[in-house]
Amino acid sequence: MTPLLEVKGLTKRFGGLIAVSDISFSIAGGEILGLIGPNGSGKSTVMKCIMGIERPNAGEVLLEGTNVAGWPTHKIARQGIGIVFQHARPLHRQTVLEHIILALLPDDLLMLRANRAVRERAEMIAERVGLAAVMHRLPRTLPFADLRRLELGKAIARNPKVVLVDEPFAGLTATEVGDFSELIASFRAEGHAVLLVDHNVKSVAALVDRALAMYLGEYVAHGTADEVMRNETVRRVYLGGKLEVAARPDTGGLARKPLLGVDNLSVQYGKAQALDSVSITVGEGEFVSVVGLNGAGKTTLFNAISGLVAASGTVTWNGQSLAGRSAAAIARGGIVQCPETRELFGELNVRENLDLGGQHLPKEVSARQLAWLFDLFPILQERQNQAARTLSGGEQQMLAIARALMMQPKLLILDEPTLGLAPVILEQLSKALEALRQTTDITVLLGEQNVTFALPHADRVYVLEHARIVWEGPPGRFAEEAGAGYL
Amino acid sequence: MQAIQILIDGFAISSLYAIGAIGFTLMFGVSGVLNLSHGAIMVVSAVAAWAVAGALPVGPFGGALAGVVTGVVFAYATYLLVVRPIQTSRTIPGEEKEIFVLTGTLIWGIMLAEAVAYFFTNNPKTVLPLISGVVMIFGERTPSNKIMTAVIAWAVIGLLWLLVNRTKAGKTLMAAAINPRALTLLGYELSHIYLLVWGIYGVLVGLAGVLLGAFLGVSSDNVGTLTASAFSIVVLGGLGSVSGSLIAAYVVGYLETFTAYLIAPSIRTVPVLLLLVAVVYIRPQGLMGRR
Amino acid sequence: MRTSRLYPLLALILLCLALLPFGVGGYILGLLTVGYYYGVIAMAWDLLFGFAGEVNFGPSFLVGVGAYTAALLNHYQHWPIWACLIAGSLAAMVGGMVLAVPALKLKGPYFGLITLVAVLLLQNMLVLFSGVTGGEIGLDVPDVLTISDNGNYWYALGFMTISGAILFGLSRSPTGLILQASGQDAIEASALGFNVAKHKMVAFAVSAIFSGLAGAMLIFYLATVSVGTVVDLTIGAQVIIAAVMGGRRTILGAALGSVLLIIGNELLRPIGQLATFFVSATALVMILFFPGGFLGRLLRPEGRE
Repeated sequence: MTPLLEVKGLTKRFGGLIAVSDISFSIAGGEILGLIGPNGSGKSTVMKCIMGIERPNAGEVLLEGTNVAGWPTHKIARQGIGIVFQHARPLHRQTVLEHIILALLPDDLLMLRANRAVRERAEMIAERVGLAAVMHRLPRTLPFADLRRLELGKAIARNPKVVLVDEPFAGLTATEVGDFSELIASFRAEGHAVLLVDHNVKSVAALVDRALAMYLGEYVAHGTADEVMRNETVRRVYLGGKLEVAARPDTGGLARKPLLGVDNLSVQYGKAQALDSVSITVGEGEFVSVVGLNGAGKTTLFNAISGLVAASGTVTWNGQSLAGRSAAAIARGGIVQCPETRELFGELNVRENLDLGGQHLPKEVSARQLAWLFDLFPILQERQNQAARTLSGGEQQMLAIARALMMQPKLLILDEPTLGLAPVILEQLSKALEALRQTTDITVLLGEQNVTFALPHADRVYVLEHARIVWEGPPGRFAEEAGAGYL
Repeated sequence: MQAIQILIDGFAISSLYAIGAIGFTLMFGVSGVLNLSHGAIMVVSAVAAWAVAGALPVGPFGGALAGVVTGVVFAYATYLLVVRPIQTSRTIPGEEKEIFVLTGTLIWGIMLAEAVAYFFTNNPKTVLPLISGVVMIFGERTPSNKIMTAVIAWAVIGLLWLLVNRTKAGKTLMAAAINPRALTLLGYELSHIYLLVWGIYGVLVGLAGVLLGAFLGVSSDNVGTLTASAFSIVVLGGLGSVSGSLIAAYVVGYLETFTAYLIAPSIRTVPVLLLLVAVVYIRPQGLMGRR
Repeated sequence: MRTSRLYPLLALILLCLALLPFGVGGYILGLLTVGYYYGVIAMAWDLLFGFAGEVNFGPSFLVGVGAYTAALLNHYQHWPIWACLIAGSLAAMVGGMVLAVPALKLKGPYFGLITLVAVLLLQNMLVLFSGVTGGEIGLDVPDVLTISDNGNYWYALGFMTISGAILFGLSRSPTGLILQASGQDAIEASALGFNVAKHKMVAFAVSAIFSGLAGAMLIFYLATVSVGTVVDLTIGAQVIIAAVMGGRRTILGAALGSVLLIIGNELLRPIGQLATFFVSATALVMILFFPGGFLGRLLRPEGRE
């Protein structure tokens, strides 16, 4: 079967960073391919290159034989590729129907009226995606799932040969995922080629015919969804390797004094449910791991605890509610987060970054803290006069952690510290975490996708999936109970 | 000799442009605000200096001090009455806040200009120079005030440098310009930082206004051109870059002076405007800005 | 408000306005005449801002280009009025395209700066060549549309009505839809197959033509043109205030805002120079507490089941 979409040797560089390296695949009509990878794997860049939002440095994008690589986006769209963005913003003053009409308009100047055929087709599309009942409503009155349907409707309005969908199920509840899946499957039935881009295989496994896994811009594995999920390299890259029984004795976290209590926490981004009634507890001195794939909601959970996003539910710290406190106050109160994006001061050097962390402390205390951290992370001492943005990924992560530690936190929240780092760096980080555990009484809440990294440092584990806690228990039981279905 | 005059004049005016421009770019870098009432606050400060020196027996120094204080007062007024309400508003959609701040400060600037014109008429006011008399430089008779302007300007720039590099508050300020979110994570209240930056801005703008008033005189008619001039310098140097603004201020100051002396004073701003257009087309991030 | 109710209401309002000369004196008619011309400029501004998402801080650049082109041709070459109007509009359109080029490459504040600079450059050029342009004092325009106050009023009202109809119609048309999408999210609009650059260029051209034409017609009413009347930065500020107060993205709001501004200024005349102060203060309060403007709520689309 001649493929509708063929990508050959796609490469994209941003300055010195190679985001996509020699990626090739093809999708035939009536097929759904899943492009999988964690944050930073390059899958979104591949999608953007196909759609012309980024210009590839090398490679071809063949749509029914025509190479559209490097074409401007609107030409590619007219040639026959539609895209459903993850974060589309609908126009506030136009109804659902008018949005679809927009998608059907020709690219002419000074059109004063849309012809009737356009309107009729728009109504048809609205029905097709299940929006017939609400087609005259404004987007702000619609639930999130309907907004996603609208985006899909716009993308398929002109009957493109290929449809790209970015994170199809993000923010949808389980039932909504089912409905949406059916919709996408129906396009496949019509003969379209569909490319789904997502963080994890499991959520799209039921839908895709084949999957291609990427990591750090490169091809990792390809095959049916099952094959990819069981692939050794994929599991290593995602989970960090084979799940070993954790070497930590089961101390029973409940016996400790509870330090942090999260009760029924829910977060909505616009209409999307990012966190759904999550409850966790962290005891004093405990190391608790929240494991879950990218997009499960770990970052949202941490941001809610740190006061960076609005949430419903309660967060108690040392017996008192954190409601109403500013994010900076929460940080000063002892909960320090080291976010996934690290948030370093790029132009400042290592020493200056650390000093800013320690500015609240009296001089002697911060000097001692600095000395201790240099001991923990010798490479930082070596590079103390270097600008933060010139450090390697691993060094930046260490700097971020060290800077957070300068604040002498009671609870350190680490969000995906291992993301994008090489195995040898992971070892160093692991050693540092172990040293922290042995030499201080710090409490740590670790959010990780890499279970192999997280388990040895956990007294207790929570599994977060699709905005909900689905499992809780000691690391020893993780492999049998939760590990199999994890990926 | 004309060359010496140009050298000195250019230096003096560039120095006072630099103060205003540094304030403008610092405000943008730290809090993301492009304050279109910049020129208005300068004029208000200058007029206050003139009025106080005229009404009370405090001499030119007293008047200048009053002018700087006025600058601070009106800077805070701008922040608390116009900018912060817009930034914290729940009815203005997030992506439009920047435009509303621009429009709001524009209107506020007009209000201030009209108020000045009403109470003090729009006749140009000249602030009493801090030092009178002349000084001989390379054989040229130069009003001492011009030298004083440059000296004061550089003293302030020096103090600012010390503040930013040697004090905790200053380092925090610079960090806020780089990554405000990181500061929140490290326990710093951004709201306090913003209060600090508006205060520093007020001092710089007030001083720039007073110095300009002594140098060239000001009137409510100048408000628009002063804002446009600061904006131009800052874009030339790179929005958010303090060193860029400093260099650009001298480029602009000298370009204007050359034009005024060698071609005609009435079109002193034209070559600058043309340069600005060229820069925006060719290198929009300015001299020191990064994309 | 439904269009089915809006159009009859508008027709009624226009009828009343058309009948005003029979009950009202020449002074007020004169004010409204100028107000209507500013109304067109404000509507053109709203098309560009509200729809294409571009903030033009110097609409008086386009107005000035249109006005001076017409004035110079009429004064020196004695072209008939209609020819001057066409020339003025075309010149302004060219000016608009020139502004459009950096707009497509620059983000927010940089583009705003260019528009400010354009006004300052024009001002300086006009003053520099004051031998030809009359500089600050201005140039007299030999021809006028008509001498009668009523006649001028009806010309202005008619102009505003026709321009408003075109601009409003454009905003509600498919083209308006594309412009809105382009202004809100250019990448999304491209992904739907629209050449955003092309559409924004057209928005600039349309905004420029109407601004320039309004400027040109204005000088044939005032019988004089000067830097202070058509190219000042404060004129731009008034236009922006009018459009924002009247309601962004409504087109009609801009016209309403202009008329209200003129009336407001007039009512506050007794307090002399503070009039502008109070009008500006009102505008500031409005944008802080009612960012949707007067017509923002009224003309908000409701949608239905």
